[in-house]
Amino acid sequence: MANYDALLQPIQLKNLTIRNRIMSTSHAPAYAEDGMPKERYQLYHEEKAKGGIGLTLIGGSSPVSADCPATFGQLDASTDRIVPYFQEFAERIHKHGAHIICQITHTGRRTHWSGGDWLPPISSSPVREPQHRSFPKAMEDWDFPRVIGDFGQAARRCKDGGMDGVEIIYGAHHLVDQFWSPSINRRTDKYGGSLENRMRFGFEVLEEIRKQVGDDYVVGIRMSGDEMIDDGLNPEDCLEIAKAHARSGLIDYLNIFHSNASTHMSLTPIMPNMAYPVAPFLYLASGVKAEVDIPVIHAGRITDIATAARAVEDGHVDMVGMTRAHMADPHLVKKLMEGRGEDIRECVGANYCIDRIYMGAPALCLHNPATGREATMPHIVPKAEKGGRKIVVVGAGPAGLEAARVSAERGHRVVLFEAAERTGGQINLAAKATWREGLAGIVRWLDAQVGKLGVEVRLNTEASADMVKAENPEIVVVATGGRPNKGRFKGDALAVGSWDILSSKVAPGDSVLMYDDNGQHQGPSCAEFMAKRGAKVELVTPDRMTAEEMGCTNFAVHLRELHTLDVIMTPDLRLKEVYAEGNRMVAVLRNEYNNAEEERVIDQVVAEHGTLPADDLYFALKPDSINLGELDIRAFIDGRPQEISNNPGGKFMLFRIGDAVASRNVHAAIFDGLRLCKEF
Amino acid sequence: MLADVLRFLILAAIALAVLGVGLRSRRWRVGRAASVDVLAGILALPRRYMVDLHEVVSRHRFSAVMHPMAAGGFIASTVLVVIVHGLRFDAAWLAWPLLVLLAVMAMGAVLAGVRRWSNKPPRLSGGAFNLLPFALLAFAAGFFAATLEAVGLFALSESIWWLQAIVATFAAWGCLELIVGMAAGPMKHAACGALHLAFHPRPGRFASNTADCALEPLDLEAAKLGAETPADFAWNRLLGFDACVECGLCKEVCPAFAAGLPLNPKKLIQVLATALGEGEATYRSTLRPLPPATGGPDRPLVGRDALIHPDTLWACTTCRACVHECPMMIEHVDAVIELRRFQALELGAVPGKGADALEELRTTDNAAGASPESRLDWAADLDLPVLEDGGSCDVLLWLGEGAFDLRNQRTLRAVVKLLGRAGVDFAVLGAAERDCGDLARRLGDEATFRDLARLNIETLAKRRFERIVTADPHVLNCLGNDYPALGGTYTVVSHVALLAGLLESGALTTAPREAGKVTYHDPCYLGRYNGEIEAPRILIRAIGAEPVEMERWGLNSHCCGGGGGAALTDVVGQRRIPDMRMDQARTAGADIVAVACPTCAVMLEGVVRPRPEVADVAELLLGAVEGA
Repeated sequence: MANYDALLQPIQLKNLTIRNRIMSTSHAPAYAEDGMPKERYQLYHEEKAKGGIGLTLIGGSSPVSADCPATFGQLDASTDRIVPYFQEFAERIHKHGAHIICQITHTGRRTHWSGGDWLPPISSSPVREPQHRSFPKAMEDWDFPRVIGDFGQAARRCKDGGMDGVEIIYGAHHLVDQFWSPSINRRTDKYGGSLENRMRFGFEVLEEIRKQVGDDYVVGIRMSGDEMIDDGLNPEDCLEIAKAHARSGLIDYLNIFHSNASTHMSLTPIMPNMAYPVAPFLYLASGVKAEVDIPVIHAGRITDIATAARAVEDGHVDMVGMTRAHMADPHLVKKLMEGRGEDIRECVGANYCIDRIYMGAPALCLHNPATGREATMPHIVPKAEKGGRKIVVVGAGPAGLEAARVSAERGHRVVLFEAAERTGGQINLAAKATWREGLAGIVRWLDAQVGKLGVEVRLNTEASADMVKAENPEIVVVATGGRPNKGRFKGDALAVGSWDILSSKVAPGDSVLMYDDNGQHQGPSCAEFMAKRGAKVELVTPDRMTAEEMGCTNFAVHLRELHTLDVIMTPDLRLKEVYAEGNRMVAVLRNEYNNAEEERVIDQVVAEHGTLPADDLYFALKPDSINLGELDIRAFIDGRPQEISNNPGGKFMLFRIGDAVASRNVHAAIFDGLRLCKEF
Repeated sequence: MLADVLRFLILAAIALAVLGVGLRSRRWRVGRAASVDVLAGILALPRRYMVDLHEVVSRHRFSAVMHPMAAGGFIASTVLVVIVHGLRFDAAWLAWPLLVLLAVMAMGAVLAGVRRWSNKPPRLSGGAFNLLPFALLAFAAGFFAATLEAVGLFALSESIWWLQAIVATFAAWGCLELIVGMAAGPMKHAACGALHLAFHPRPGRFASNTADCALEPLDLEAAKLGAETPADFAWNRLLGFDACVECGLCKEVCPAFAAGLPLNPKKLIQVLATALGEGEATYRSTLRPLPPATGGPDRPLVGRDALIHPDTLWACTTCRACVHECPMMIEHVDAVIELRRFQALELGAVPGKGADALEELRTTDNAAGASPESRLDWAADLDLPVLEDGGSCDVLLWLGEGAFDLRNQRTLRAVVKLLGRAGVDFAVLGAAERDCGDLARRLGDEATFRDLARLNIETLAKRRFERIVTADPHVLNCLGNDYPALGGTYTVVSHVALLAGLLESGALTTAPREAGKVTYHDPCYLGRYNGEIEAPRILIRAIGAEPVEMERWGLNSHCCGGGGGAALTDVVGQRRIPDMRMDQARTAGADIVAVACPTCAVMLEGVVRPRPEVADVAELLLGAVEGA
């Protein structure tokens, strides 16, 4: 392992000695309850502190005022109610030697009038916010002291709550940079026009904050290094702003990010997913670092230690935000320090975490089901009191690999059967689709862990019931996954499944109707795969829109790709029938709302309808099992061992997980494996 | 007639031996002066021979029987032969014991002969040594036959002439080989060995429980620094080389030799001995045969065309296994260091990364070349108390070079957490700590060592503490054994000893748990150098592990390959020493190799997987303490 000393050097932020250069930047995982950081929220960050992180920032976009209500479970920094929670939180983090800073903000127009107390959003000028589709009021004279005072009070709450500092977000088109950005600010008073005027409000906020927290308290701002829009702030403008703030003596660090967040597509690069290279925007922070003499930090798809080390060692930044990297592995620093860098479960950039929030659900990591579930799921699977049980896992997709890994971590003897020539299951297919190749990282980690733990992996072996029984197992976990399902429509035999296309078993036709009756990545992935190979593709779905079962940072990339590849996207149509006509075929589509029918004459119909369980083995084994395959669902949820015994002649416990039960996703499969097998 | 012959033989042999050894002593007297307490040495000789030397010999069961019989029988019977046959004091009460002693000697000779002629261990030299059992037998048989008359069993002087002639011939052969031969030939080991024992350069190693391994400070004002030629060694060192009995035990335990590095300690000592004479020497490096090279007391010893290839010198890990094993009490490692000193200080010829490390030591005060302030980087979150000028504490925790290395920072974190839990009043020097100088000293750079030692002693003088604790045995040895000669005398304790004490006093408690099979690798500088064998094993038992021992452990432990700067000079062999050590751990069936030295940790962790895990004892203990 290379020398990553640079990352493990302490850094001084005013009065704080941060133990290393690795941090997690502020985000809102939507774990807040009632606007407060309670147990779930705290445990999530405590795990990173335990794992050796230097600094963890909490409270992404915590509102300071009543007229910027939380849009999804952010912390409410506008009330003193939060102070005791902060105190408890800070103690939890400090106990492990890490530091904690909370971010506060006024989001301005970046919210919706129907949230919270039904107050109209405010901004520099009454310009519509596209992402939240809100129309703000331009701030008037009496709004300024009110909002500035709110900022000061929220900062004071951070200090009273034992936070080590406070960060104010002056980016992503929150209120302050709604003043900075000429794309929004149309004012003609002292807050509009020149850059100096546009910066005035932000400085007034900082001065008030300093008044409240004093000089010996860390205050930082997070700002964009380039708004990346034609009428917005360019890198030169942002550099001027950064230098002005560094010179002011009001702030102790600059957290540089990029883009703005007013639209889906401009929000997407802020949390760049696997379609982006690693550290795509480090250059912006580096440019600022060269011009200022206060610490500069940066986050943005820095997922691996080598890139992080390069960022610090080469002097681009002083600290590296590895925020999603910590969701995938909160013990990242500890593993680095233990010389086990190869054991770090790297963020693959699937953005399942952030996109769940945009779909109204709390953040979860696609391939680490313990994240956000620290109260019940272990990041480090403990050894069983009595190890050595013989466990057979059939199927080495994500569910089976995780089941084998967790069982082996428990200290059991595990045999893992896989019919294919390699492990990974459906992830191998998903990773074939153009920019989704990063998914392979999930398999790579699981595969390496399983190997390291001594699991006996038998590839190219389609397990029969007799083969499984010949192993004399105590427990059998069937994770045989699914079989492709084209769905039911007249003439479905004429259609091709998405697996056949992605696996290159069937070449795409010249003109293709891609019918997506799933809503997740499969349909768009397959459409892009075919279009890249020259097919003319129409992506039809009965859903209200393409990629409906997906959040912003992924659907935006899919839509970008589909539009670029000239794929026609047609919602609201259900595939009713396919029939051959000469060398071509006709697809009959029926509108979901008015039942009107229309037809397409094409060369090929590709249908995506999830999977059906591959459950033959499960049913063949069922009669010989102690529990007849029955899962004690209560015990499964509560984290107790499975003890159903309803077949006296049974020889082993039998369980079925992942898509072998029902078509779901990678997270569901891995969560099944962890949840079940951690009790073995 | 026969009696006269025997009388002449024994007295003449002794006279010739004295003369011969006197002449031989010219070989050693070319060496530098040494301060030797001659009288005390001579008085201590019997005890050094019968207790200290016998302790070494008796580690090997065969030698433990053979050598006392042959050598003891020979020495005691020679005394009586002189009285009975030389001085003609042939009373039966003297003759009987003589007969018994000669018989014992003969049995010893038979044992030696059987070993040499049936299945000679390859470590033993052949040649003249192979004839020694016959000479012993001849001496014993000759004088046995001649002594029978004194007890009235068989009147040899009245028997036929050729029988008398045979007896006289045997006696003459024995006297010539065993007594006169003390000046040259295999029996020189006895004379030189005895004198070496009496005038040993390290009298402190006798009648002592711990090894005497502090290096002698070099006079940095001397005209020549270190040893270039044989004459640059002290005379009693040269005497020691001359005493080598060529038993090969040093070679058998040498990790560098076993790994196929170009170092054979037996041959090294042999070449130093043969170089004392003029002319072509026979020494050849095992791996790199040299062109025939010429020896001589004033010729350089080390060089690509000289008797000792430089790689031989830098392959040594200073593990002291050879010294520990040598029955002639030869100090191989001292010789290596003395030769390295000349190479380092006069020629600047330290190879590989050794030179870089020395450069870093001279410019940054640590071998890592790190900024002194960064010595505490790994502990930013541990609130380590720093002992400032004028401060005091109970335990001064000396961090060592491990503080700059990711691997050993983990060990240090574990030590710090354990001290904290046990409520020990401890502090560290922080940026004021410098490298202790061990590396520089072992690489022969005495000047850099002295600079570092002086600065550290000055720093320590300004602070009060009861003891220094360190997790680095090289620091332990350097501060504890090397500094006193420079005026720094401290109580220095290894972390394992301190932790074992904390367990015993109840300041730490463990929850023993399933920890698998743990084998402890004794670091040379902790075990052989400083005698600490038991404390780490107490700790391993306390964590609930199943202790297993490797084939070589304790004082016989096998080096990790990293001592004496060998990891930096990095002389290439056929195998890596740590790989060989790890094989021993695998053979022992260990799941974990426990270490107590930062160098061992790094060397053993460098072995490719699959292999047992490597963990410092402190790390293992912390796990068990945190579980309690």
